[in-house]
Amino acid sequence: MSIYKIKLQQFEGPLDLLLFFIKRDEIDIYDIPISKITKDFFDYLNIIKQLDLEIAGDFILMASTLMQIKVKMLLPREIDEKGEEIDPRDELVKALLEYKRYKEMSEELVLLESDTMKLNFRGYNKEDPKENPPEFDTLLKNITIFDLIKAFRTVLEEKKSEPVHKINKINVSIEEQVNFLMSKVADGTPVLFINLIRDMKEKIRIIVTFIAMLELVKMGRIGIKESESFNDFIIYSAEING
Amino acid sequence: MDKIYKSIISALIFATDEPIKANELIKAIKAIDGEDIAVSVQEVETAVEELNEIYEQTEQPFRIRRIAEGFIYATDAGYANYIGYLSSESSRRRLSQAAVETLSIIAYKQPITKPEVETIRGVNSDYIINTLLEKNLITIKGRADSMGRPLLYGTTDEFLMYFGLNRITDLPKPREIEEIMKDEDFLEQKRQIMLNQMEEVAENEGGLNEDESEN
Repeated sequence: MSIYKIKLQQFEGPLDLLLFFIKRDEIDIYDIPISKITKDFFDYLNIIKQLDLEIAGDFILMASTLMQIKVKMLLPREIDEKGEEIDPRDELVKALLEYKRYKEMSEELVLLESDTMKLNFRGYNKEDPKENPPEFDTLLKNITIFDLIKAFRTVLEEKKSEPVHKINKINVSIEEQVNFLMSKVADGTPVLFINLIRDMKEKIRIIVTFIAMLELVKMGRIGIKESESFNDFIIYSAEING
Repeated sequence: MDKIYKSIISALIFATDEPIKANELIKAIKAIDGEDIAVSVQEVETAVEELNEIYEQTEQPFRIRRIAEGFIYATDAGYANYIGYLSSESSRRRLSQAAVETLSIIAYKQPITKPEVETIRGVNSDYIINTLLEKNLITIKGRADSMGRPLLYGTTDEFLMYFGLNRITDLPKPREIEEIMKDEDFLEQKRQIMLNQMEEVAENEGGLNEDESEN
C-alpha cells in the first residue's frame, strides 16, 4: 500500500508562488510560458481547495490576472507611443522582479537578525515589559499613538453595560376605580378618602383613584366635604344621600 | 584627551540600558566638569575604539557596539548559547518570513504607505504591519499627500537595534533588477546558509525531527 504525502510549501503570496514555479522549471523570467504557469497556478489552488483550506483573495486576484494575460497573448499586440509592441506579460514581470528584489533583501535581514541575536546588549535581556508592566514613569516612555489606540479599544471592550431600569405596567383604569369608589359608598355611609387609599402600594393607583373620585364628583354621583381631620375629606354617595 | 575621560565614557555607556549618543556623553561630562572641557565627538569615538582595543587585549567577553548612532555594551557572539540558556524564550523568537519581507520593503522604501507595501508583496499586509507596529520595529512617520492621505511608515531605532545597525544606510544595498537576473546562484547560496542555520537550531532542540524520519 502506498501512502501519498502532500507536502505543501508555505508561500508568502501569489508572487512568491509564481517565483517558485519560475525557479523550479528554470524559466526565463522575461519569457514566461503563460499558459503553463497559469495551469500550475490553478493546480495549486485546487490542492488548497481539496485540503479544505481557504483560498486568500490575493490568489484569486492573481488567477484572474493570469487569465487576462493569457487571453491578451492571443490577441494582436497593443502598441505604445513609440510604436513598439506591448507584451501583456510586462507588468507581471516587473512586479515579480520587484518582489524578488525585496525577498532577497529579507534574506539579508534574516542573516543580520541571527548575527545580532548572538549579541546580548547590556540591560536588554529583561522580560517583555508588556507582560510585566514596570513603574508608571517607565510605562509612559516610548508610547506611540498606536499604543493609545490599543488601550482605548481595550477600555471600550471592557466597558460595563449601562444600568437598565425595568418598569412594570400596573393595570389600573379610571373605570375600575370608579366602581371601587362606588362600592365603598354604596351602603350610604361616608368614608374618609385617606382610609380608601391606605392599602394601596403603587403611587399610580392612588392617583387614578383620585382622578376617578374627581370624575364622580363632576358627574354628581358622589359628593365630598371637608373632614374634621386636617388634609382629608369625606366621600359620600350623592345618589343615596342627595 | 585625559585617561580619566576614557573611564567616564565607559562608565556612562555601561550605566545606560539604551544606546547613548556621543553628544549626550559630552553633555554629561561638561555638566559636571565645566563647559570649558574640550571633548569632541571624534575624541569620544577614539576613546571607544581604544576601550574596545583594551577589551580585546585583555580578552573581555564584551565590546562597545555602535547601534542607532549610539554606544552600548554587548557580549560577544561566542557567549550567546550560555546567555540564551538563561534568558526567556519569548525574547529569542525570530521574526516570521512575512514580517521580515514586509520590514525589508519598509526599510528600503521608507516612508512608504501600506498600499505601496501591498503592491510589492502582492498580499494584504494589514495584520503584519500591525504586528510590526506593536513590536515597535516600525512607526507612523506622517501622511502621504496622495488621495485619502494614507499613513506613512518607517523604521525605528528599535529596528536598528534588532538588526545591529548603526544607521539605516548601513543596510546592505538592494541589487539592481538586472543584476538579480544574472546570477541565480547568489540566492541559492543564501538559502544554503539559512538551511544550515535552521539545522543548527533543530539539533539544539533535540532529535524530534530525526525520530520522525526514521519511522
